[in-house]
Amino acid sequence: MAANEEVKLFVNGKRIDGRGADEMRAVRIEVGIIPEADGSAFIEWGGNKIVCGVYGPRECIPKHDASPYHAIVKCRYMMSPFASAEEHSKSGPSRRSTELSKVIREVFENLIISEKFPNTQIDVYIDVLQAEGGTRTASVTAAAVALANAGIPMKDMVSAVAIGKADGHILLDLGKLEDNFGESDTPVALSNRDKKILLLQMDGLLTKDEIKKVIEMAESACGKLHEKQADALKKFYEHGENEEFKL
Amino acid sequence: MDKKIVLPGDRIAEGRMNIPNAYTKDNGTYAAVVGTLDNEGHYIALENKYRPFVDDVVIGIVISVRSAGYEVELNMSNTGFIPARMMRMDLSLGDFVLCKIKMVNEVGDIDLGEVRRLPKGKVVQFPSAKVPRLIGRKSSMLILLKEYAGGDIMVGNNGYVWISEKSNVPLLLKVIKHIEKKAHKSGLTDEVSAMLQKETGGKKALPMENPPSAQMNRGMEEQEEEYRR
Repeated sequence: MAANEEVKLFVNGKRIDGRGADEMRAVRIEVGIIPEADGSAFIEWGGNKIVCGVYGPRECIPKHDASPYHAIVKCRYMMSPFASAEEHSKSGPSRRSTELSKVIREVFENLIISEKFPNTQIDVYIDVLQAEGGTRTASVTAAAVALANAGIPMKDMVSAVAIGKADGHILLDLGKLEDNFGESDTPVALSNRDKKILLLQMDGLLTKDEIKKVIEMAESACGKLHEKQADALKKFYEHGENEEFKL
Repeated sequence: MDKKIVLPGDRIAEGRMNIPNAYTKDNGTYAAVVGTLDNEGHYIALENKYRPFVDDVVIGIVISVRSAGYEVELNMSNTGFIPARMMRMDLSLGDFVLCKIKMVNEVGDIDLGEVRRLPKGKVVQFPSAKVPRLIGRKSSMLILLKEYAGGDIMVGNNGYVWISEKSNVPLLLKVIKHIEKKAHKSGLTDEVSAMLQKETGGKKALPMENPPSAQMNRGMEEQEEEYRR
């Protein structure tokens, strides 16, 4: 692709996949898809398909990780070898998945009321089945739903969205091509009630004014995502099960 | 009554109130887990993790026998412990026991007492947040279940449900699953009654002779006598 310098990501107010600048991809959330897990969720976000399972609080292994003051949160993000067209040909830990596991873990360490469960661990397993840019934000959104489904006490719900810059325009919810060939990619995770920033990374460069605009856009987008999360959870608890789930 | 579902972080009351499964911040009380909120402001959790309290009645499974006592699995992250000096009988691995929580400390160690071994049967998991619905008002649900399925059934606060082998176990499992799904709906006992009548064709089962649950409320002296026998 490097030879093709002429690729335009934003033409006449339309993006490469036909969306407007502040339009998100379609999001579908399902709750309770893994009967054996304490809590689980599935998210389909554009071309991303992610399964999240939550277990615990349970006995902490290895024991020396345990804290007598609070439960520890363990998060494992993994991209399946078949998830996308390139790079992720091997399963198992990599630089990228270790980083993502860490940032997602820190989001939930700030939300879970863990003091009630000393000497235990809470496991959050995230598996990306299909990837098309923005998997870390989709993972955070799905994991929040799975934790609520597991009945783990949390101070707030959280949702996340990636905002970036391509061809000089600030674009909401970057797709794969915009992420790879754009100028900047900034994932933001915001808590629902008080809009606290729980995750903010920046790939590429943005000016101070652009960052302000990014946070503003993230606030409205996360509000919409929270509605989707709430609808999914309400639907699940109305019926008490999720029978017609389809991948 | 109008009920709506609230999510973690939703405001459930003005002012700082001490409500289970909620937390307070800045002169407000917020839900910590998914629950229902009715128009009178009662907040009831739909999902939670069982936290042990002294005097809770729990059902457990013996997972380790040591000279000092027995370790008991209680459907939670910590195991309970029965000191051998409290016991007048021997337990063996895999026994089901009904006991009371005598002590809980801040790191989660649990000591159990008033132990009774349960006869042969099956122990199934049930969400601890929904246990009150399985028992019903004045045990109405349990009485109903026993009427149609026979045998005996006991529920621990920790969410373990013991079913005697004399009961109609497949029927009970089906009904318990149904109660789990519809726990937040009102008129549940009537619905379950209709379901049981349909399943059994209105045929009631014979009550069990001398069911263990009938002895639950006997005094300690009588229980001790039983142990000596």
